[in-house]
Amino acid sequence: MIEDFLKHLFPRAVLQRNLTLSYTLCLGGLAFTCLLLLAASGLLLLFYYQPSPAAAYPSILLLESSVWGGRYLRSLHRLASHVFLVLIVLHTLRVILTGAYQKPRQLNWLVGCALFFLAVFEGYTGYLLPMDQLALWATQTGMELLHTMPLGGALRAALVPDGVGEPASLLRFYVLHILMIPAALLFLSGLHFYRIRKNKGVLPYL
Amino acid sequence: MKRGYLKSSPHFFRLIKIALALTVLALMALALLIPAPLQEQANLARVPNPVKSAWFLLWIQELVSYSKYLIYLVLALAACFLALPWLTRSTADSARWFPRECRVVNCAALATCILVLALTFVAMFCRGANWQFVSPF
Repeated sequence: MIEDFLKHLFPRAVLQRNLTLSYTLCLGGLAFTCLLLLAASGLLLLFYYQPSPAAAYPSILLLESSVWGGRYLRSLHRLASHVFLVLIVLHTLRVILTGAYQKPRQLNWLVGCALFFLAVFEGYTGYLLPMDQLALWATQTGMELLHTMPLGGALRAALVPDGVGEPASLLRFYVLHILMIPAALLFLSGLHFYRIRKNKGVLPYL
Repeated sequence: MKRGYLKSSPHFFRLIKIALALTVLALMALALLIPAPLQEQANLARVPNPVKSAWFLLWIQELVSYSKYLIYLVLALAACFLALPWLTRSTADSARWFPRECRVVNCAALATCILVLALTFVAMFCRGANWQFVSPF
């Protein structure tokens, strides 16, 4: 049943020339694979992570020292997040260099841009969660960069009402990272795939 | 079946399955070789020098270290990026690599990529204490 459902997400037939790897390099699909891997590994990490300033770092230490495969799982999640961002950038570059962003695909281009910015935001919110020195100061610097932008002060106040690494800000980063941004990423990915299929008669499918 | 078309099952699905399996296996193997770093517990009283942002934001940090007004260049780039379909005239009826009509956009995109990579490299490897320029070697 699941296989049938998945098959219905795709068209019954595809243009043969669009299956050549030299055209798309499969970059968007690989990025989505990374997103699924991130969701799976992140879901397992949730069983041990505690989103409070005092407990976050010890929970990572516990995961790494006492949980079988815990250190590996965290490494996999972190590596997949880096590769996810790299693949999205490469996919975007491929779309630009092949002119696949042009009308009538402009709506899907905007959806792709939203996915790109959300992926960066997802990476940024995840950076703080281990609550080590690297996490704290990288997030603090990111906030300083945000502050230099117009309306950056208001955005910063919404994201970190009590300072980077304090209880409310860590909780907000946590909820954004595990719930709101992933949900938006999955919804927009679905819309992205749907729009590709919708435009299939005008431009190559992929 | 129309000429030039193939059934998705098995041709397209086979490709998807292979790509999915290879990506997951490669990442699982690499995760064995590249452990995630974990420094000492966060402490606001201990400020590292230099303080660096996440690697994917380093190019912006490097840029605004020259002038804070260069953030407007980043915003302008983001605006151009969003408006790309409306800044260029639709030319081809099918997408293909490096179309001649999109030479300007392609060159601008590649130049931007090279600039971002160069700024990231400088910020990552050539910035020492107090954001002073140091040799990466």
